[in-house]
Amino acid sequence: MQLNSFQQKAFDEQRSHIEKFGRRSWAWTIFFLLWIIVGGYALYLQIADGHIVTGMRDNVVWGLYIANFIFFIGISYAGAVISGILHILKVEWRKPIIRIAEMITVIATMIGPIFILLCVGRLDRLHHLILYPRLQSPITWDVFAITTYFTGSVIFLYLALIKDFAIYRDAKLKVPKWRQKLYKVLAIGYRGTPSQNKHIAISTNLMAIIIVPLAIIVHSVLSWIFGMTLRPGWHSTIFGPYFVLAAIYSGTGVLIMVMWVYRKMYKLYDYILDKHFIYLGYIMLVLGAAYGYFTFSEYLTDWFGSEKWNSEVIHKLFSFSEYGWWFLFANVAGILFPMFIVAFPKTRKPGWIAIASFFMVIALWVKRYLIIVPTLESPLLPMQDTRLEYVKYSPTWVEWALTFAGIATFFLGFILLSKFVTIVPISEFETKEKVEEKTIVPGTEIAQA
Amino acid sequence: MAQTDSSAKEEVKETTTYAPIIAFISVQKSDNSVDLKTTVQAKIRGTLTKLTGLKIEFTVGTDSTVKKLGEVITDSRGVAILNCKPGQLTTDKEGKLNFKASFAGKDSIESAEELVSVKRARLEITPVKEDSLLTVKVKLIDLSTGTGTAVPETDLGVFVKRMFSALKLGEGKTDEAGEASIEIPNKLPGDAQGNITLLAKIDENEVYGNLEAAVTQPWGTPVSDELKALPRALWGTLPPLWMPITFLILMTAVWGHYIVIIFELFRLRKEEPKTAP
Repeated sequence: MQLNSFQQKAFDEQRSHIEKFGRRSWAWTIFFLLWIIVGGYALYLQIADGHIVTGMRDNVVWGLYIANFIFFIGISYAGAVISGILHILKVEWRKPIIRIAEMITVIATMIGPIFILLCVGRLDRLHHLILYPRLQSPITWDVFAITTYFTGSVIFLYLALIKDFAIYRDAKLKVPKWRQKLYKVLAIGYRGTPSQNKHIAISTNLMAIIIVPLAIIVHSVLSWIFGMTLRPGWHSTIFGPYFVLAAIYSGTGVLIMVMWVYRKMYKLYDYILDKHFIYLGYIMLVLGAAYGYFTFSEYLTDWFGSEKWNSEVIHKLFSFSEYGWWFLFANVAGILFPMFIVAFPKTRKPGWIAIASFFMVIALWVKRYLIIVPTLESPLLPMQDTRLEYVKYSPTWVEWALTFAGIATFFLGFILLSKFVTIVPISEFETKEKVEEKTIVPGTEIAQA
Repeated sequence: MAQTDSSAKEEVKETTTYAPIIAFISVQKSDNSVDLKTTVQAKIRGTLTKLTGLKIEFTVGTDSTVKKLGEVITDSRGVAILNCKPGQLTTDKEGKLNFKASFAGKDSIESAEELVSVKRARLEITPVKEDSLLTVKVKLIDLSTGTGTAVPETDLGVFVKRMFSALKLGEGKTDEAGEASIEIPNKLPGDAQGNITLLAKIDENEVYGNLEAAVTQPWGTPVSDELKALPRALWGTLPPLWMPITFLILMTAVWGHYIVIIFELFRLRKEEPKTAP
């Protein structure tokens, strides 16, 4: 594969990242593997002793695992929606960051459903979901939707990688033979001929068009598991768009965070520019405002209606002796803080935006927890002769260990993928004669290496 | 190591034994037969547990006139029922039936027995239909003296047999003639032909014990026993038609795209130039 000068520059600057597995990468890998091992032990206990080792009981039947599931599926929308929409709109500045977005999608969609498996009591009956599906159930819709979505996101990522695999194949990288062979296989004979380019263009366009509505449907289906259940705090008509919005919002936050980490780790300042953070920051601002509006509308409606059971949940969320502090954090850190950071030119900088994203992502995880647990603690029928520890949910160390194991797997996935493919796509520069210039957006500074 | 004493006594093994509790009743039927029913339980580790697989022997009579009626093994609910034909039953001088249910003991369960003594009697139920008014006339007859004597001032109830138990329709007290009349509601759901089984019962009478009489009449409304398939519904076995149609359209549309893309990739691979380096 012949590279132009800018493709060559981009490749030369990144080839060492995929050729070497440095000490820092080893250190992080071991760190995350240790977390996974602890999670593995927690999983063993859960399988051996049953779900009694978790905090889930008769009333609060869903807890951390489901919150994690929704969170990970939510952040997967970064790739699907952002890269899909930006591709359709032919936005040029997307090119250095779409690979990161697509990686988030694939890795997050792999990890999210694992938390469902952790929550399921009878894993030996899992195949019943496929053999005896109940089409009337939102859970059945979710099984098919997430499977379809994961397949689509893998295809989408792969399509964007074909040209780069061809570059790696021809570059005689200093990598083991099995990897050289793998690049060759994955390149599927791409040589850059016009007809081959046409096939890739058709496929990528098709995929970009389908992935956006698919992502919206998938997260709407996920929201309907709650929205269609007659429980206070869940049974809401706006849950579909609310969840989709929250998903894209949190996905944007994770994308910003990962961009910041990769830019710092791999010194990609010439490619992941300040303007990427600022443009994504603007997207985050708009999404944050919309998410804030939906949140306000949701709780105002419940509060104003004064229905007995809805009022109980509202009281739990606003009472500082219950979930009030968490609710405050979820809204301040999740909505107001990112909006203020991006709104003011002084703080509209990569570092600040990354910090705002970090807090926003955590706040949205807390929000998912607050959607699930307070509602389950407010049953529609009075609970009699029930122990207090069965009424209030308190996650155990097993659940926390598996949560952190999932997060560690998420980060480990990025480390391993970044050692297999370059973070900034090389082939994306083929249609332009030069890389994007380092533009200075008024009121910001260029990040220093 | 401690030296064992040659004159050491054998260890006495203490085994726990349980004393069974036998609940024993007799039910005199209108055909002059008697159902003998026992329920056997024991308190094991603080919980009342039904005992299964125990052989219960039923006898009638006292002392020299004891006659064995039969043996029944308790079922999974700890229940043993024996139906005794009129010819098997012998009364004493007072016209009483003296039944005994006994368990001989087995393993860790001690032996036990229970006695029931009732006067011979019969309950008769006669359906009466006058225009649209449905009633049953129930008569209690004392048979202990040999000649049937009406028994007044006795409480009884009338029930209709349902799928799992009997539904009480009314109660009454026998008059001077030993009769009670109880009204039966119209339009009770019956079987496919509209038949209902009416039961007259006297429970736990001090003198006569339990008595039952039954009659079947076509006084109910026919209820078809045909299993109707549930319509397609959100709550039914099969979903509304629009659901699988929508599902198939969506899945076909999306996976169809994937198939087209895979096809494009195969074509791309096929078009690899032969002279590639």
